[in-house]
Amino acid sequence: MDAIFALAMKDLRLLLRDRANAFFTFVFPLLLAMFFGAVFGGGGGGSGRMDVVAVDLDGGPAARAFLADLAAADGLNVTTTTTRADGERQVRRGAVQALVVVPKGFDESAGNMFSGTPMRIEAVVDPGRSAEAGLLTGKLNEIAFMQMGRLFNDPAKMTAQLDRARASINNSPDVSAPQKLLFGTFFTALDRLVASQRAGGAGEPAKAEGSGFAWRPVDVQVSKLEADPNRPNNSYAISFPQGIVWGLMGCVTAFGLSLAFERTHGTLMRLTTSPLSRSTILLGKALACFVACVIVQVMLLAVAVALFNVRIASPVAMVFAVAISSFGFVGVMMLLAGMSRSEGAAAGMGRALILVLAMIGGGTIPVFFMPDWLKTASSVSPFKWATVVVEGSLWRGMTVFELATPFAVLIGMGIVGYAIGAIAFRAADAR
Amino acid sequence: MLILRDVRKAYGKTVAVDGLSLRVEAGEVFGLLGPNGAGKTTTISMAIGLVRPDAGSVELEGHGPPTDGNVRRLIGVAPQSLALYDQLTAEENLEFFGRLYDLRGKRLVERVHAVLDAVGLLPRRRDRVGAFSGGMKRRMNLAVAMLHDPPMLLLDEPTAGVDPQSRNNILELVRSLGAQGRTVVYTTHYMEEAQRLCDRVAVMDQGRLMALGTVHELVERHGGRSVVTFERGEQIEHVQTDDPLRAISGALSGHAPGPAISGVRIERPSLESVFLTLTGRSLRD
Repeated sequence: MDAIFALAMKDLRLLLRDRANAFFTFVFPLLLAMFFGAVFGGGGGGSGRMDVVAVDLDGGPAARAFLADLAAADGLNVTTTTTRADGERQVRRGAVQALVVVPKGFDESAGNMFSGTPMRIEAVVDPGRSAEAGLLTGKLNEIAFMQMGRLFNDPAKMTAQLDRARASINNSPDVSAPQKLLFGTFFTALDRLVASQRAGGAGEPAKAEGSGFAWRPVDVQVSKLEADPNRPNNSYAISFPQGIVWGLMGCVTAFGLSLAFERTHGTLMRLTTSPLSRSTILLGKALACFVACVIVQVMLLAVAVALFNVRIASPVAMVFAVAISSFGFVGVMMLLAGMSRSEGAAAGMGRALILVLAMIGGGTIPVFFMPDWLKTASSVSPFKWATVVVEGSLWRGMTVFELATPFAVLIGMGIVGYAIGAIAFRAADAR
Repeated sequence: MLILRDVRKAYGKTVAVDGLSLRVEAGEVFGLLGPNGAGKTTTISMAIGLVRPDAGSVELEGHGPPTDGNVRRLIGVAPQSLALYDQLTAEENLEFFGRLYDLRGKRLVERVHAVLDAVGLLPRRRDRVGAFSGGMKRRMNLAVAMLHDPPMLLLDEPTAGVDPQSRNNILELVRSLGAQGRTVVYTTHYMEEAQRLCDRVAVMDQGRLMALGTVHELVERHGGRSVVTFERGEQIEHVQTDDPLRAISGALSGHAPGPAISGVRIERPSLESVFLTLTGRSLRD
């Protein structure tokens, strides 16, 4: 055991002494995760504008006008979608910071300035973007009041509105007789104002007074998206699993090459002529790779949690995910190392193997973005399964039991890879 | 100490070693000579358990075959290729290899210090091996072989490509190892090294043992006659003889016509002449 530990320590030390190798193994995946997290999540957005997705569930002219004003508002980048669910999905993924919902019945309530259900706007924000929530509330109120301005400028709509309001107040038991008298005077004044608008004149708007009556022409409801264990809480929760997979790939490449390096530089001969068995030598190499895989995963997770507000939904499952994905990738490394006779072969085979497996396994594009046939093909890639177990533990909230299948697949890949690599290594060694 | 019995090894259709039998005695410095492709490295590889023979047997007398890990503890190897980690310091290299041989703690520190001192690299122990010259790396290669204090060392061309100072250091080390009673199997292309160091020499060619014996025996058997060269002014005369002194005496006392003898040179048969006699003068590429 001590010899295996010595071999592993030697390999880790060699990895750290080779700055380029260490960079691509430990630092590059971190930079990758941070970069893509910022790109997809807005953490690095340089425009200073808030990304908002809007959904029009009403479809009326008032709703269209509201959305047009929203799109023209300063400080907002507005895109639209057709369903509320898709809008919420975009918020959860961190693609936008908020969803604005123009609910059904908006067009009708837009006329209820003085009575009835007020104009209602809903906004759903990323819980991690509280600062933006305040800005959005202000913006939505501003735009909603702009709709009221339009109402005042349309005499026909205003007259109908006043008639409804007058009737509503007169019939209301909550409004006292003196208040009704005052409102009657107010509505009469407004009638005159509208009449003068029709005649092309202008007048001073009157101020409403009263007690026991809350005039609330716009109802802007801003809520935070409820934490959903089955969704990432921000874009870094997606980018860091990708970074972890790339880190695992870096370990595979580094240690896969190291065996070929030892073979071509003669140190493997010295190892094989020492008292150690071939199995011990391979176990030492595997242990070094395993430790490096664990280190790179723990390091990325620590950064994700500490700096990017990523929450680990299932810590226990994550421990298993880190250990088992490391085990699986040790198998990939052994396969690569055992089958490579030279550094050139290892590098070439490594690039081909790793890139293909990474591409189809979600190392470059998240699997859920892939077409169905590619999702099926991705099942042969350990990258997919590593992504599944890391994401499953990180933000999908899956338990160890729920992750049993991907864990089993990764363990199987580790065992098969190790066995094939060991056989190939012995075959080359016995020449 | 090391016994090879009718050993045969082929790589495909190429027979690298063909029925080789050797016995290297404990405490002797044994030279293994031969042109390129003679089968020396394959023989060494079988002797250290790296390669299994197709036929025959290899064993360390009283211990078993070198494919056994415990038997390999008795062997120190300095391979022809420099088997060192360039990114590690001299000390780190030795500490790592020492742990493979179960050296620990104070014993490991002592051995590392001792071998670094022996090869003259103690002042450079904290430098990375990648920064070493070729000669220093060769000495480090030898230091690793000596680290676990084995009774037998297999040194495959340990002086290849080194400067005269490093070569001298290595030769002195090998001589001292022999003096300490260790068994050393030494392959080289430098005949004068073998002549200077080896108690016995085996000459191989095409996988077969061509000759085996002490340097003196081989020279006696295969070296041919001495050549005495007489210079008479511009005229040069070569005389092959078994008794150079008698030939010179005869020439000086004789009354041969022509110029008087102005110079005499004796070329005694050497290991190189033995080598060329046994393996021929054609190029081996």
